[in-house]
Amino acid sequence: MKWYEKIGYELFEPDRDQTPGEVVFFKFFELFVLVYTLYFSWKWGLYAQLRNMEVVLPLGLANYIDVSLFFDHNLALINAAIITIFAVAAFFRLGSKWFYMIVIVLLHMQYVIRFSQGEIPHSQNLIGMAVLSFAIGAAFFPDKKQMPRFVMGSIIFFIGLGYTSAFFAKLIGTGLTWFDGRHLWLWIGEKSIDILSREGVWEPNFLQSLALNSVFAASIILLIGWFTELIGFTMWWKKLRPYTTTLLLAMHFGITLTMNIRFDAFVMQLILVGYPWYLILDRYIKSTPKVLMKWL
Amino acid sequence: MERKFNKRGMKVLGITLLIYAILVAPHEGEFWPFSIYPMFSQAGNPWTRAMVLDVTDKSEQERWNNHLLQDRVSDAVPVGSYGVDQIDFSNFVVKTENWTDSRRNALITMFGSENIEGRKWMVSKVRGEMVEQDSVIIEIRPFIMITADTTYLNPNLPDEAYRGGTE
Repeated sequence: MKWYEKIGYELFEPDRDQTPGEVVFFKFFELFVLVYTLYFSWKWGLYAQLRNMEVVLPLGLANYIDVSLFFDHNLALINAAIITIFAVAAFFRLGSKWFYMIVIVLLHMQYVIRFSQGEIPHSQNLIGMAVLSFAIGAAFFPDKKQMPRFVMGSIIFFIGLGYTSAFFAKLIGTGLTWFDGRHLWLWIGEKSIDILSREGVWEPNFLQSLALNSVFAASIILLIGWFTELIGFTMWWKKLRPYTTTLLLAMHFGITLTMNIRFDAFVMQLILVGYPWYLILDRYIKSTPKVLMKWL
Repeated sequence: MERKFNKRGMKVLGITLLIYAILVAPHEGEFWPFSIYPMFSQAGNPWTRAMVLDVTDKSEQERWNNHLLQDRVSDAVPVGSYGVDQIDFSNFVVKTENWTDSRRNALITMFGSENIEGRKWMVSKVRGEMVEQDSVIIEIRPFIMITADTTYLNPNLPDEAYRGGTE
């Protein structure tokens, strides 16, 4: 067996039988992705319609299409409505197996319409990667056992890759001195202005106070986070996955405390894909509901 | 059968990864939902953000003078409570190079003139940088004062600050 096939066995677990718990969990996870897809589509559409006036920073397809056209005439809202129709149909496996592919293209458009104002947030990337995985899974692996395995395996693959990629982006962007605690001081200062601007007040919490009072403590905080990113790819291995996920969650908790950056959808999705929840469900669910098999 | 699926799955993942690389490479690491996650990759660089201070009761001199964050005497206006995203607001203020009349008036429109009625709000740039070996300074630089119907430029800044992005 070649090395990449071994990784595939860890991600897709092709030899494991499909269980009722796995089916129930998969459909719950798909519902989670659907709800966030609709939430983001409408939230971004409404914001673009009400607030966006001109393109400050073109991202993705906005480099080739003038997305300011979508700021008026409710076009961003119409896009959200089309996404809703295709996403709901895809969830219930109605219509073409390419519906999720249409959803990811339109959702990309919605993102670049909304975030054409200079900010490049990443907290919605995992939902986007999940929709893309559903799109590829539905199109190329329509089999009722293969699709869930491919979707979950590819999401885990790209999560692990993303964290490790973030480690190397820092290594290339700054070098080995990236974890110098004074860099954290600057970031805490920057985020404190964002909070002060948004809320009108800002007070450092205990972790921020600790970091601001000791360059050594600040350096250790950055070093632990950076190392955790490096080992992100180890979640490709089934046995290591829960441990890596726990470390990543702890890192996100630390990011929230030190820099007031919350990745709610990202963290919830990490909790869902990082642990084998189907094992718990299998204890209580002994047969697969027929309706779920229809929607698989 | 299982082995065939596994092999095909990895092949499809490999092709997706290739498309990922092809899309992010010429787009500075971002092509949603693909990303190389470059946030915080360049550490130690100075930054500039924006905030709004309520300077209604302040003297002319207090309004327009640069000062350090710890010496701030005016209350910060919570932009979130007016439905404004503070990151978008920061980008609008910091990245705008030519402050045309419509751009200046957009600041009033953003918050709603009825909310500013009777007040004087100072849109300020805030710059943070590392100095010497062991400290970070954060300086507030008043930029444009807005009222319900008028905007005022900082008299201490040269015209170029509003026509070319420099301060």
